[in-house]
Amino acid sequence: MMYKNSYLYRYWQLYLMLIIPLAYFFIFKYGPIYGVIIAFKDYNLFKGINASAWVGLDVFRDVFGMKGFYTALRNTFLLNGLDLVFAFPAPIILAVLLNELRSAKFKKLSQTVLYLPHFISWVIIGGLVYQVFATKAGIVNLVLAKIGLGPFPFLADKYYWLFTYVSIGIWQSIGWGSIIYLAAMTGINKELYDAADVDGASRFRRIWHITIPGISTTIIVLLILKIGDMVDIGFDRPFIIGNVIVRDFSDVLSTFIYRIGLQTGQFSNATAVGLFQAVVGLIFILGANYIAKKTTGDGIV
Amino acid sequence: MKQILPKKKALQKTALLLISMIMLFTLVIGCSNNNTANTANTPAPSETTKDSDKKTEAPKERVTLKVEVFDRGNSPDGMTVTDNLMTKYIQENFGDPNNIDVEFVAVPRSEEINQLNVLMAAGTAPDVIFSYNAGAIYNFATQGGLTDLTDIIKEHGPNLQSYLADSLQYGVFDGVQYSMVARRVHLQKYISLIRQDWLDKLKLPVPTTTQETYDTLVAFKDNKLGGDQTIPLGFALAPDSYEPIIWSFIKEQSDEARYLRSVTIGSREYPILMDGHKEGIQFLNKLYNEGLMDPDFALDVDRKRKQEQIVNGHVGMYSEDAVSSYWNDTSIAMTLEKNVPGANLTPFLPWTDFEGKNRQPSYTPSGMHIAVPVFSERAVEAVKYVDWMAQDEVIQYMAFGDEGVHHTIVDGFPVNNASDEAKKLLYNSGDMLIVTNGIDFGSMEKNIESTVLPVIEKHRELAKQARINSMKDSVQQPIQFDKPLESEAKHSVIMLDKYHELLVKSTMAKPADFDKTYEAALKDFMDTAGTEVINERTALYNAMKK
Repeated sequence: MMYKNSYLYRYWQLYLMLIIPLAYFFIFKYGPIYGVIIAFKDYNLFKGINASAWVGLDVFRDVFGMKGFYTALRNTFLLNGLDLVFAFPAPIILAVLLNELRSAKFKKLSQTVLYLPHFISWVIIGGLVYQVFATKAGIVNLVLAKIGLGPFPFLADKYYWLFTYVSIGIWQSIGWGSIIYLAAMTGINKELYDAADVDGASRFRRIWHITIPGISTTIIVLLILKIGDMVDIGFDRPFIIGNVIVRDFSDVLSTFIYRIGLQTGQFSNATAVGLFQAVVGLIFILGANYIAKKTTGDGIV
Repeated sequence: MKQILPKKKALQKTALLLISMIMLFTLVIGCSNNNTANTANTPAPSETTKDSDKKTEAPKERVTLKVEVFDRGNSPDGMTVTDNLMTKYIQENFGDPNNIDVEFVAVPRSEEINQLNVLMAAGTAPDVIFSYNAGAIYNFATQGGLTDLTDIIKEHGPNLQSYLADSLQYGVFDGVQYSMVARRVHLQKYISLIRQDWLDKLKLPVPTTTQETYDTLVAFKDNKLGGDQTIPLGFALAPDSYEPIIWSFIKEQSDEARYLRSVTIGSREYPILMDGHKEGIQFLNKLYNEGLMDPDFALDVDRKRKQEQIVNGHVGMYSEDAVSSYWNDTSIAMTLEKNVPGANLTPFLPWTDFEGKNRQPSYTPSGMHIAVPVFSERAVEAVKYVDWMAQDEVIQYMAFGDEGVHHTIVDGFPVNNASDEAKKLLYNSGDMLIVTNGIDFGSMEKNIESTVLPVIEKHRELAKQARINSMKDSVQQPIQFDKPLESEAKHSVIMLDKYHELLVKSTMAKPADFDKTYEAALKDFMDTAGTEVINERTALYNAMKK
């Protein structure tokens, strides 16, 4: 029986609006999944996907036989690991600091200034990076030279480069990343703070015992997602900030796929690596979710 | 909760509305601009048919021929690379008489291989495609992606057969003519220039051997003639910096050595296993560690820093693609002279090899490969287009325009008069006149003369000398097999990356670590792709010898 007051009937506009994003996901994310079979075929540009010959696991054998693949895999974990250790806590700390600010105006101002780097395209950042970090003529080294330090090969030595890579990543994402934590903090009951204050808790104690646990769910969720993403890495940052000298560390799976896929037209190999990434990523995310559920009771699935 | 005053609320509402309208507006503009640029304007067939000298049989129905064109982002105002004076000329003189609508498809120059791969994969590539990368074209051919042009050329391409007689052979793979190979007129590849004023200050002669060049570089550094930022040797991570130096160290020059111990990456020959290659890199290592090169040279892949350093007067000497520095009043040489009073550059030959010769690379007479995708239905029209272009009057017009309007005759040569009209018609004539790379006036001397005439007067003799220099003891590269190698086509990008890694790591290593670093990087190169390529080269060489 059709109830005039049924949810669907009353809110049909909302459901209609949902159709657009659903269609987007279906067309662009689920639809192309059939293309995964390219990884099992000897893809010929001109024969198309269906007419290309099946080769079973040969493509994977080929890819796993490439030394470059393992280097790219190792580097992906390396860079993501460094990001996890240094760049994951950074927005949390920033959010905590911003939360403690009294002046609302200053808070708003600093938030705006901190968000801005997120909107700058990596290509532009790449152009700036040389001017700022070059070994002899870069701004940082020129300033350090005045105090008598350096010059440091920020871009010309692979270990220094790791520092540069992570730092730029933090600079770019810290503001934007803190939004979500700040939002979570608004959900913490203000009375808890007052009660703690009455009990004589110092500022640090208040942060440690109220603020952090208050956003722990958010932290766990984002941590799970981040771990699930360990095998995935953006293309822009390593490609643009990397260079020949630090290729040992800057070549990651995404740049590897770009080189052998788009630049040389070996689509089968590129698809195989992409499929590998997706499968491993799935295992990671389910694993992280399971562990999180077992230890803290919070999970996303 | 703060109460928002009604007035403020209304203001907020209008502000919100305005912002969302602006965003929507920019979205619409952005999208529509893209569309109008892509759907290349098909010029309306002119009703007044121009008298064409060649009366060709016009087919019954009007067809469309799509031609690729490089987009360098330098079109004059009011024109696009797909709709300009030259495209109109082509439509009027080739399209209309043959009942063809000629449509141009723009491909950004720096992305050409990537774009071409995508277009071919999508089946939407234009009917006329081209590339300087023979490996890429060969890749398409082996995958069955190109039309066999042998018979079509015999029937519809008499002009191009005679004009491209010397270069067509480079487009024959496994006995089938897959591409029409353009003529390359100017074979000069690299030149080297030195700051004559620095030499004068130090009372030194122009160096003529590698040892003298080295000593001069040291003198430049010790005397800091370019200030604190003096860079004796301008060097970027690009072939025009390293090829001249490395090739001067190679001790083996036989064809056999080149077949068996070099690899071809793209269109360049890399003598990676030849005797002397390691010494060449070791020399670079020496220059680097003694502070004679820019410590950040490896970050300069597009050569922009090198150019900046040159025009700001910091650099003592450098090599470059043949004659980029001498041109009109905005050339590198002119900019340097403006920035640094008294500065001037002289062309010279810095590097001598084990026999005292100036062996250096030069081009083969083959230009770009022009091909037709297998899924194109306009192969005949495509060949007709190239055939039409291979006529003297057409080449003359597309290269120089009309006398008096776009060029003047100087000493019997047409010289671009740099007028606005000339800029509008000829700004991309090199990219449109695909059938030849450079204009042939009959002999090398005449050709060199013709290229230096547009150069600003005071640099003309220097430009000529530079070109003559680059032909001295030159060796045409790359050495050709009777077809491109599959492994080279497949691994060209990886090999170039690994070679650059080898070069950079070995050059930047401490002198004591050089051997270790070089050997490790060489092993990496060979393991990744080198061994496969050398094996295929050896097999093909043995097959050729039979």
